[in-house]
Amino acid sequence: MSATGVAVRSADASTATVFARAASAEWLRLRTVRTTWWCLLAAAVTIVGIGATAAFDEAQGPAGPGSTLPATLAGEFGVLPGQFALLVLALLAVTQEHATGMIGPTLQWTPRRGVLLAARVAVPVAVATVAGVLLALVTDVAAWFIAPGLTLSLADLADSLGRIAAVLAAGSLLAVGLGLLLRSTAGALATVFLLQLVLPFLLPAFDVAWMRDLGRVLPGSGAIWTLLGEPDMTAVLATTVLAGWSAAALAGGGWSLLRRDAG
Amino acid sequence: MIEVRGLTKQYGTVRAVDDLTFDVRPGKVTGFLGPNGAGKSTTMRMVLGLDRPTAGRALVAGRPFAGLARPLRTAGALLDAQAVNPGRSGRDHLRVAARTNGIPVRRVDEVIDQVGLGPAARRRVRGYSLGMRQRLGIAGALLGDPAVLLFDEPMNGLDLDGVRWIRRLVRELADEGRTVLLSSHLMSEMEQTADHLVIIGRGRLIADASLEEIMRGENAARRVRVRTPSGDDLAGALLRRHLRVHPTGDGDLLVEGASAETVGDVALELGVAVHRLAEEHSSLEQVYLDLTGDSVQYRVLAAPEPAGQVRR
Ligand SMILES: Nc1ncnc2c1ncn2[C@@H]1O[C@H](COP(=O)(O)OP(=O)(O)OP(=O)(O)O)[C@@H](O)[C@H]1O
Ligand SMILES: [Mg+2]
Repeated sequence: MSATGVAVRSADASTATVFARAASAEWLRLRTVRTTWWCLLAAAVTIVGIGATAAFDEAQGPAGPGSTLPATLAGEFGVLPGQFALLVLALLAVTQEHATGMIGPTLQWTPRRGVLLAARVAVPVAVATVAGVLLALVTDVAAWFIAPGLTLSLADLADSLGRIAAVLAAGSLLAVGLGLLLRSTAGALATVFLLQLVLPFLLPAFDVAWMRDLGRVLPGSGAIWTLLGEPDMTAVLATTVLAGWSAAALAGGGWSLLRRDAG
Repeated sequence: MIEVRGLTKQYGTVRAVDDLTFDVRPGKVTGFLGPNGAGKSTTMRMVLGLDRPTAGRALVAGRPFAGLARPLRTAGALLDAQAVNPGRSGRDHLRVAARTNGIPVRRVDEVIDQVGLGPAARRRVRGYSLGMRQRLGIAGALLGDPAVLLFDEPMNGLDLDGVRWIRRLVRELADEGRTVLLSSHLMSEMEQTADHLVIIGRGRLIADASLEEIMRGENAARRVRVRTPSGDDLAGALLRRHLRVHPTGDGDLLVEGASAETVGDVALELGVAVHRLAEEHSSLEQVYLDLTGDSVQYRVLAAPEPAGQVRR
């Protein structure tokens, strides 16, 4: 140990520098736990597997040669279930810190909580979104090879991947926000599954008007509509639902990290 | 330098820290003592910006810790050795820390060597013993070569070798001019390691003085051990002067609250021979127990006699 440490160094860095360091550290954090890789593997298997199977079915089906179905359907079919592996990735990135007590050292290393919040939201959301888009791209191309009846145009691809990115970004923002707010893996995971998967499918099944209406304003319904164009819903409503839930989760999670004790 | 000013923390109905004011000065090991639940960890958490004070403030090197851009360069801390993600290797844990503060990776390997973590650093923390986790935590605290160090019970779970290592390390850090705040329940360790003591109970300050002062203070009841062939006579004379005297097992007398001069004078007056006369100072443990006696919150009830006692 050098004795120079005794002199207090006041090498003050700009907020941008602190953010860059924090974000780079978040990325290193993600890379250095196996959970991340398991989630990515699960996402790859689900998205590519289900997407390719759907495309194969399509090629066998009556709407075979001569139809003009886009290959991008494959990626969308795959992301619908596969998104959950990516949401779990983003959620665990946050809740594991609280579950293990690691949030203590983390806040000692980056005590500017606003900066930490920005990095902690941006990195997992970006990783989940980029990974999902890349996997969807692979799935689309694979589907196109498997089922030559499917069409693949750049315009379709851009449109489809854009919608997938929106769904994954909104979903992982929701997951990260809830993770920061609830701080418990089990609690946040259960909430995300209910909002994103279970209730949007369950509520309309009851055939009760208010349940159907409630179902439509859940984030999962917005995600399903954005991916598949079902159930009946306007683009404005879907966008509002996705953005609204993400913003609310982020506000709650941000409050929790900025205002509460480290816990 | 750590400055704590009127620091207060209320958790619901519990006042964990109550208007605490003290300084931790550079170049010394400051021991932070108090019974379980006294508020030591809470105070350290507030100093490091982990918990928000209900009132008051704390400054580290003259500034609030929570505003620092490269905090590891200013202060390093080990609060809870278990608070690590067990799925990451020790080295990766430190790499993350280094990256947040713009510290080169080279330094990570330096502190790994310094704490003796060695090849274990590349294994996942899941498989670490408590002692290895303590070493990892200390490596993290030293990473930024900081001027201020806080250790919350760093000797917990360490083997004798580890305890001696911490004692030396803490001494060296203070001798290099750093500020060291160290909490522990091991009084004999503190007696050997600390230069200064801050003692709290139920969140309030009980004592803030040098080890020397505390050991010689009014709570540090002095007593004198005297060896004489005329024990009964001397004891009688001392009792007449309202001094408390008890015989020890080996035939000496212990005189409470008296100086060697007093006892020697009494013996001379009486004309009895004195073969040994020694002032004994209480151990830190005794002084500490006297000081904190009223503020112990979690007292152990006297245990009932075990039923099947071995008769001799
Ligand atoms: N997060 C919390 N919520 C509620 N009460 C708390 C919390 N943290 C600490 N306390 C309470 O505050 C008091 C002080 O606790 P603290 O951990 O600071 O004591 P300590 O001096 O470190 O004790 P020990 O020697 O056992 O480590 C205790 O009564 C404890 O129960
Ligand atoms: Mg404690």
